[in-house]
Amino acid sequence: MKLSTYNFLTSMAIKGVKVGYPLKLTINKKDVIESEFNPVFIERLLPKLDWSAVYSAAQVAELADDIPAAQPDNVAEDEQLLQRLHHLLFEIDVLEGQLECPETGRVFPITDGIPNMLLNEDEV
Amino acid sequence: METPHTEHLSSADYEHVYEPAEDSFLLLDALEADLEFLDTLQPRLCLEIGSGSGVIITALAKRLANTTHCLATDINPKACEATKRTAIRNGARLDSLRCNLTDALRRRCIDLLLFNPPYVVTSDEELQTQQLTEKPATERNLVFSWAGGTDGRRVTDILLEQLDDILSPSGVLYLLLLHENKPDEIIEQLKRQRFEAVKYMERRIPGEHLYILKVKRVAN
Repeated sequence: MKLSTYNFLTSMAIKGVKVGYPLKLTINKKDVIESEFNPVFIERLLPKLDWSAVYSAAQVAELADDIPAAQPDNVAEDEQLLQRLHHLLFEIDVLEGQLECPETGRVFPITDGIPNMLLNEDEV
Repeated sequence: METPHTEHLSSADYEHVYEPAEDSFLLLDALEADLEFLDTLQPRLCLEIGSGSGVIITALAKRLANTTHCLATDINPKACEATKRTAIRNGARLDSLRCNLTDALRRRCIDLLLFNPPYVVTSDEELQTQQLTEKPATERNLVFSWAGGTDGRRVTDILLEQLDDILSPSGVLYLLLLHENKPDEIIEQLKRQRFEAVKYMERRIPGEHLYILKVKRVAN
């Protein structure tokens, strides 16, 4: 699971959960897979991303020095930051770990890179 | 669009995961035929629900590489694994996750949504029985990939009810349907939900008349 995907995941579907976001991420094993950097795409994706979850992903991935805690105004003009965002969001692959609902503590395991977000019938 | 390699999947895999068939290829053909539109749409986030073997989302992820983030969901863990293996075999970048429909995703994010649902008309009891039976989960998983309940629409109707919360403002859905799913009725229902749906492609194969519905929001 790439950290771009993490940015879109929520536990909102659990009965009684109001926001369910951001999920608490734990990384036990990760891989880095290089991929082609497309600054225009990163720039276009930014409005869809939640910056606080981008930053928390950076903290968990031990890349917090690379990413500012608050979204700068001029990201599009900052090629170096776009490159760092590309690395954080698209090159880090979480293989083992977990996601935790911030409201209920329900844990969703990540195994072989696949998060299991399926809820039991009595949870929805 | 290249048809993805699938020789890494064996008959043992297809005991648990839906094997690509005419319906899968019709959805691929529709996407291929509409590439010019997709290039204009420039989807940032693409999701296939019920990705199964992963051939459709893999073909698309390759074609839209570095311009679209592609995701695949399935309730069947074997399908999630098969999708991931198909992506890797074909050098496509996508993330596979296990969840029901789009339940685990933030609202109104998806720019391009694909769904080849369980569309075969079965009794709702048949689906219920499958849920209660003692059969191994894997056998049940395969039934869930095709058994659609009344009018073959049990799962499709749930998805369509949620569509406004799923699609981004410019989001588009390609949905595979069978004639027995009553596509005209679905088009009317979507109109009431302020969506515009057209039969984008259709194909008759022995025993089945298949359609691809293309759905987007009514422009304000």
